[in-house]
Amino acid sequence: MAHKILIVDDEPNIVVPLQFLMEQNGYAVMVAESGEEAIEAYLKFKPDLILLDIMLPGIDGFEVCQVIRLEPDWGKTRIIFLTAMGREVDIAKGMVLGADDYITKPFSNAEVVKKVKDLLDKT
Amino acid sequence: MKIKNKFWLFVAASLFVVVALSTVLAYLFWQSLTPTEKNFITLFNKENFIYVFAGGVLLLACIGFGIDGLFHTYIIPIIKLTEDVTLLNEVNPSHRIKLEGSKEINQLVSAINECADRLQASQINIQQKIQLAKAEAEEEKNILATFLEELPEGVVICNADGRLILCNQQAKRFLSRERQIPSDNSADAGQQVNHMERFVGLGRSIFSIIDEHLIVHALDEIASKIDRGEPNVASYFVFVCQDEKLLRVEAVPIFNQQRESTGFLLILKDITQQIEIDSHINYLLESLNRGIRSSLGSIRSTIEAIIDYPEMSLHQLGQFRSIIHQESQQLNDLLNRTMSDYAFHIHSQWPLVQMPVMDLVQFLKNKAEEKINVAIELERTNGICLIKADSYSLVMALTFVLKKVTEAVGCQTYNCRVEKTGNFVNIDLMWEGDALKIETLRKWDHMMIAFGKEGFPLTLKEVVGHHKGELWSYSSAAPDSQSYLRLFLPVIEKPETIPLRDMTILPEGRPEFYDFDLFNQPGQTPELDNQRLTDLTYTVFDTETTGLDPRGGDEIIAIGGIRLVNGRLLRAEQFSQLVDPERLIPAESMEIHGISQEMVKGQPTIKSVLPIFHEFTKDSILVAHNAAFDMRMLQVKEKSTGVRFINPVLDTLLISYVVHPAQDNHNLKAIAERLGINIYGRHTALGDAIATGEIFLRFIPLLAKKGIYTLKETRIACQKTFYARKKY
Repeated sequence: MAHKILIVDDEPNIVVPLQFLMEQNGYAVMVAESGEEAIEAYLKFKPDLILLDIMLPGIDGFEVCQVIRLEPDWGKTRIIFLTAMGREVDIAKGMVLGADDYITKPFSNAEVVKKVKDLLDKT
Repeated sequence: MKIKNKFWLFVAASLFVVVALSTVLAYLFWQSLTPTEKNFITLFNKENFIYVFAGGVLLLACIGFGIDGLFHTYIIPIIKLTEDVTLLNEVNPSHRIKLEGSKEINQLVSAINECADRLQASQINIQQKIQLAKAEAEEEKNILATFLEELPEGVVICNADGRLILCNQQAKRFLSRERQIPSDNSADAGQQVNHMERFVGLGRSIFSIIDEHLIVHALDEIASKIDRGEPNVASYFVFVCQDEKLLRVEAVPIFNQQRESTGFLLILKDITQQIEIDSHINYLLESLNRGIRSSLGSIRSTIEAIIDYPEMSLHQLGQFRSIIHQESQQLNDLLNRTMSDYAFHIHSQWPLVQMPVMDLVQFLKNKAEEKINVAIELERTNGICLIKADSYSLVMALTFVLKKVTEAVGCQTYNCRVEKTGNFVNIDLMWEGDALKIETLRKWDHMMIAFGKEGFPLTLKEVVGHHKGELWSYSSAAPDSQSYLRLFLPVIEKPETIPLRDMTILPEGRPEFYDFDLFNQPGQTPELDNQRLTDLTYTVFDTETTGLDPRGGDEIIAIGGIRLVNGRLLRAEQFSQLVDPERLIPAESMEIHGISQEMVKGQPTIKSVLPIFHEFTKDSILVAHNAAFDMRMLQVKEKSTGVRFINPVLDTLLISYVVHPAQDNHNLKAIAERLGINIYGRHTALGDAIATGEIFLRFIPLLAKKGIYTLKETRIACQKTFYARKKY
């Protein structure tokens, strides 16, 4: 069965190529545009991996990560942060909150696919 | 003891001695007589009693008059003479003794006055020489003081106890706090009067101005840095002052030659604007970073997908192309937005000052003549308006353009026309001959402005652009075919109010805002009583009132005060406030102080004024003439204002009585005349307070002459006088 991936970003122009890329690599993709939608989708969809943007309208990526990590079966879901800030402090903060990896924009598709694949292979 | 009491004591003693001697003589004479002689005298006295008694009384009266004459002709003049000579020696060399006594006394007075003339002449001579010698040093000192005063940074120096011994204007502006007092008068309800809430001045404690914890922390940090032997011993902290301005304070210790700490220096810098600019630029950078990364992320991911998946559907490809297009446009917009915002903030640090456009043209005319030998004739103008300019850079830029035009078209004379059209003012530089090609002008845009060694590290475009102006070349359509360059500059419709910066004038005397002797001032100690009078800080004050009966409903209508620190009256630290008494001012009191009902209308009431005056007098000794009255006026307001003056009080009326007991008149005017002091503004609260201060200063050496040095000794001496028992 195909792994499920949740893409959380409010920028459709980044979501569209990412969704295409993940689908081409055989993953089942769902998209959320805000933190609230992300939590809802997580509970419903139980994805294997989340590509989570930090800067979101309303609840930000850090808070989403924190909420998900409070769920009893969170260990099954991998989280990769997407950051457009490139600030080390954001990366450090995300890793402490329980993220598995991070990707700084602009990223190469190969890098995303590799990180997703590596993390999903571990499970 | 009073002179009259002395006199009566002297008379009584003299009478007693005379009566006693006469009695003894009479007794001895009686004993030497035979009984026949005694009988004869007794019979004689009985028969002629009235004559003998009258003769006795007459004799006693003659003795009394003789003593009185002697006392008034010799004794009293000599006592007064002593006081006069002390006055002449210690306080007022121009004082001359006017005494009428015996011939010998008058001769002595003349001799003393002659001596005084010579003494004064020689003193004046010496003073002139000293002043001459001091003048040069004083001038240098004043330049230094003025320089400090005009520094954009606030500078405060405190002694080891935290008392201010130097404070420049900028520091006062930063640290003092004004409060709006609502007018309590019902007719003027709603009006606000600005008044000082926090006073900053010499002798005041820095801890009442800046949070004590901040200073103590800074001093602790300095101490530990010194212990560790660090080269930079300064400590820094940030402090929010009036108007929410953020001050960066640099605290630096001051040591004497023995490396003992004698105080500290605080340098205050307003960093509000800098922080605003920094944080905005920071914000711009972060937005730019985020925007670029986000758009680049989309573009890169999309392009890579197109390359990696050439077999994708046409629909998908179209969607991806549109993403690339949108994101590249967004990048473009973001860059433009950021750069214009950034330029605005950078330019805010290159300030433009409002000025009349004609001033700029005049500068240009002078500069062109001086630099490139080009004449500019002012043709006609309807351009009386204000512009914002950095006149130096703009004039340099225009002169640079003229130089280039002169080289290009060979013209040495230009006409200048200034016209206001809409929101712009046009400055046209016109010449006879060919027009300048736009391409040529655009080439100059990127050249650095320079004339030989003098130049400006900016290009023509940058300078004109910074002024939000535009430079263009035209050719007139008129038959005389004039060519011209036109500079468009935006006009200011509403002139901005800019903070005034007064012309700096070097003070003639020693500036009052610094006094290094204060290093040795006592701090806040409970032993004030044992401090020398010369070492204390005073507030000399006076009140004007509606009448002389505080308990009967008379009210304060004016308070004036001035601080006296280290033997100097600080004229920069005055308090002067009219007060609405909320009652009628009687005509008879108005005749004295000249304050009318109209003048106090709309002024704050005593409830608002007294707390501020209380703050003004903080940590000082109160001095007033006939202080019992002024203190009573303040005390009756204790309940209604909640303000209690617990400062020690000295009274110049009582001190006058202590130092000049022989003088009859101790009112302010008489004392001032005696001491050679001019009162400016008699019967204004401030004028009288200043005069009282001058008097008090001259009393200090006179008290010392009598062995009275400390506050306690002065108070005890005053208490002993008659006036101290007078109750209001």
